[in-house]
Amino acid sequence: MNAATSTNQVATFARYGALSVLSFIVVCPLAWLAIASLRPQGEIFQPISEFGWRTFVPSRITLDNYRALLAGDFPVALGNSIFVSLTTMAFGLLVNSLAGFAFAVFEFRGKTLLFVLVIASFMMPFEAIVLPLYVLVNAFGWTNSYKALIVPEIANGMVIFLFRQFFASIPKDFYEAARVDGASWLYIWARIAMPLSWPTIATSCLMIFLRQWDSFFWPVVAASSPEYSVVQVAIARNINFEQHNWGGLFASTNLAILIGTIPFLLLQQFYIRSLIADGLK
Amino acid sequence: MVSSRWVPYLFLAPAILGLLVFRLTPIGIAIGGSLTGTSLMGDVRFVGLENFEVLATDPDFWRSLRVTLIFNLIINPLQVVVAFTLAMLVFEPGRGIGLFRTMLVLPMAVSTGLSAVLFGLFLDANLGPLNGFLHWSGIGAQPFHRSEHQALGTLIGIATWKGAGYWMLFLLAGLYAIPSTVHEAAAIDGATALQRFRFVTLPLMRKPLAFVLVADTAINFLFFAPVYILTTGGPNRSTSVLMFEAYRSAFTFTDFGRSLAISTVLLAIILIIVFLQFRLLRSPEDRA
Amino acid sequence: MSIIRRHFLQGAASLAALGAFGGAQAQGTTTLTVPWMAWPENQVRPLMDVYEKATGVKIAEERLPIDELFKALEVRLTARNALPDVYLVDGPLTASYAIRGHLLDLAPVVGSELGRYVPTTLVQGTWRDKLYSLPLGTSSQLMFYNKKLFAEAGIPLPSADPAKRLTWDELLEIAKKLTKPAISQFGFTFESVNPYQLLPLPQSRGVKVIGDDGFTAAGYVDSPGMIDVMTWYQQMYQVHKIGPVGTFQTGVTQEMFGANKLAMFIGGTWNLVGFAKFKDLDYAVAPHPYFAGGKPITPTGSWHIGINPRTSQMAQAQAFVKWFTTRDTMDLWFNLRQYPPSLKQIWEERAKTTFVDPAWAIVQHELANTATPRPATPGYREYESFLKIAMQDIQTGANVKEALVRAASSIDREMRKYR
Repeated sequence: MNAATSTNQVATFARYGALSVLSFIVVCPLAWLAIASLRPQGEIFQPISEFGWRTFVPSRITLDNYRALLAGDFPVALGNSIFVSLTTMAFGLLVNSLAGFAFAVFEFRGKTLLFVLVIASFMMPFEAIVLPLYVLVNAFGWTNSYKALIVPEIANGMVIFLFRQFFASIPKDFYEAARVDGASWLYIWARIAMPLSWPTIATSCLMIFLRQWDSFFWPVVAASSPEYSVVQVAIARNINFEQHNWGGLFASTNLAILIGTIPFLLLQQFYIRSLIADGLK
Repeated sequence: MVSSRWVPYLFLAPAILGLLVFRLTPIGIAIGGSLTGTSLMGDVRFVGLENFEVLATDPDFWRSLRVTLIFNLIINPLQVVVAFTLAMLVFEPGRGIGLFRTMLVLPMAVSTGLSAVLFGLFLDANLGPLNGFLHWSGIGAQPFHRSEHQALGTLIGIATWKGAGYWMLFLLAGLYAIPSTVHEAAAIDGATALQRFRFVTLPLMRKPLAFVLVADTAINFLFFAPVYILTTGGPNRSTSVLMFEAYRSAFTFTDFGRSLAISTVLLAIILIIVFLQFRLLRSPEDRA
Repeated sequence: MSIIRRHFLQGAASLAALGAFGGAQAQGTTTLTVPWMAWPENQVRPLMDVYEKATGVKIAEERLPIDELFKALEVRLTARNALPDVYLVDGPLTASYAIRGHLLDLAPVVGSELGRYVPTTLVQGTWRDKLYSLPLGTSSQLMFYNKKLFAEAGIPLPSADPAKRLTWDELLEIAKKLTKPAISQFGFTFESVNPYQLLPLPQSRGVKVIGDDGFTAAGYVDSPGMIDVMTWYQQMYQVHKIGPVGTFQTGVTQEMFGANKLAMFIGGTWNLVGFAKFKDLDYAVAPHPYFAGGKPITPTGSWHIGINPRTSQMAQAQAFVKWFTTRDTMDLWFNLRQYPPSLKQIWEERAKTTFVDPAWAIVQHELANTATPRPATPGYREYESFLKIAMQDIQTGANVKEALVRAASSIDREMRKYR
């Protein structure tokens, strides 16, 4: 074994060691949550003086909490959130990538001003705009409908910014070459820029999906009738001043996390090395 | 063929329309609202800069401003560094790396408010598992968010727990966008790993880093759900960030003028800091 | 036509179609939009079902978690449009909503029925002599104690007779004997830390907690009497250490009691139902303690229902609220959630059945003699918010005087808009 290999071994060991420690820290609360959702409610909270293996090992595994969830309105909330998140993601991907492309590739009058507006659009607290937004949405007649949940979230300044950053780092030669060949800008966007951006597409899809998955205040204000219930509100219903449904809280949170992670699992294959190097040929 | 002059505007149209209607107009109304006062019965009257003047003489406002700045001064660089470190750790392929990557991003599927509730229970002084462990190990139970010395740090910890994996993804995308040929060429030229990082990776990560820093800064300045859920600005106002003051003014005290004034101040602060961040991360060709 | 223009027009057309689709509202049945508390669905739907079947009017209740209920109400009411139609009102907030024109005077709607109500339950719904919100019940607090822990320590059980209630000093002595930090056992705690729970402490010593005008906190919230009492409260946790510090969430204190780690617990009557899930718990009830030489005072007040004056369905909204004064509705509501009833009839009918339980006997006594509603002021949200923070800071060890002085000045600052 030469020096290079043993340095490699040390580096690899350090790398996996660091990752193990960090992942453990990150996953700990979630693991506690998952275990808690599978145990009888009386065991969820244990006094600190009784810390021991019993803290981690349930006396028995029970699916009661999940059964109770499925019997209630949680499935409706899950379905609504999935529908709203996926729809916003689809439209948002289209609308925001087009805009990001424009900022990255073109020079035009008003570009700086428009870009500043795009950036500023996500710097005002939502609570400050919720009232005018509600009045507006109400005036459109969209209260208590999917439109209220989806349409205001389609245009997303942060996603435009993300696409702009990425498209700007694609060498301009690519576009020049295509223009010389007579391609329209839409073709360039669709067939050249987008295919090079799979990691960015994946992350922006995740961003939009999660923003809707996590949304809590806006649905409560604009679409809180039972048939439009969303997953975060359904989870929060388990916490009540007078009585708490711990089992329901943990089971629903666990499900929301598991399902909310699925898009990531599906999209992570797009984190492959970019094709820029090949595209140059 | 459509003239190139109009193409940018067409590409922008749907997004800008959406932003205009659902974000920018309400923001404009909000900023305008900071110049008004509302009577109990809902009559709105123009008061000019009165709300801002009242803020300027309000010790609670200045205290919140200080807490907010301290919070952000710590958390923004912290989260970016942690995210970048994580990205570098999972970037190279390897056995089981996919599993680590998935574990690190799990927290992003929990909403901020919910993570506050969960940590409130996880960190509970008497029934929480973390304190159970600390008690058992002899370190002793910690008050965490119930102590004015630990509360802000606890909130920073919770926010970083939630955000690190998420921001890591954006930096990963940036790392993957660097062509392997560039790294290979540098290695052939005899560059060490550290030199490659400094002279190849970092410059090419400028744009993704700029994105993460700016977006994260915006989110952290507007962070307040865990404050409102866990600490209500305490203990002893040690976690009373500006956004919490704005929120309370609007929804508990129905003082929309004050709330919108605070939000406008926040917006201004964020814009200034973001402008500085853009300058910091400008690439050399932009400087010319 | 170029690709771009075609795509753009297609996009525009679909957007327009989306908008038009939204315009068509549901025709036919009347629907009342009713923001409600996020109680379990099986405790809310049956109530609304009965009304829907009886009248054909659909009730769209929105079960919202408590904080979100208040937030959503603030946003919608401030927008001053036709929604919501009818909404759940937290008793002490009645004045706050009324002064801002968000509640309809209910005299024409239910005025004739008021004689059937327990008088103290109407107090919180009344402001400037008009009834703005109708009580759905009220609340009372009991002292729950753990028989097993008392027996282990050989301490005599507290009496359930209101005439023999414990004084706070007596309770402190008992709690000290029942606190065993090594096994995480505490002698006593309150269910929550907020004005609803804790104002009875100063009030029991005769301390006034707000000015007579309902708007002044300075001189009351930071009076020497208040400082004394809150210092005593702080000492329970910081000096005598008989209770868990920093555990403000109600659910957690309930869990501690259920896990046999808490000897005495002052909490609401909802625990009579909530504690049933703790199979290992053997508890009994006693009346709320008081300060020797002072008066017994207990918290009270609960949820009310009110009408948005701007509703577009006034007749149906009024009919719905009026329905809540009927005996059948209140009886059903009691079956679903056992709030102490506000209708005298329910008390009378169940005197020999449900209310024969010693816990309910205590509740009846308290409601008649010691129940003290929270300060009646339009600025209750402001008052409660700052005082709650002060109380929580005090429990975790802050300087009592500073915390109360700060709370008082903050309250007064926000109350200015009401003067």
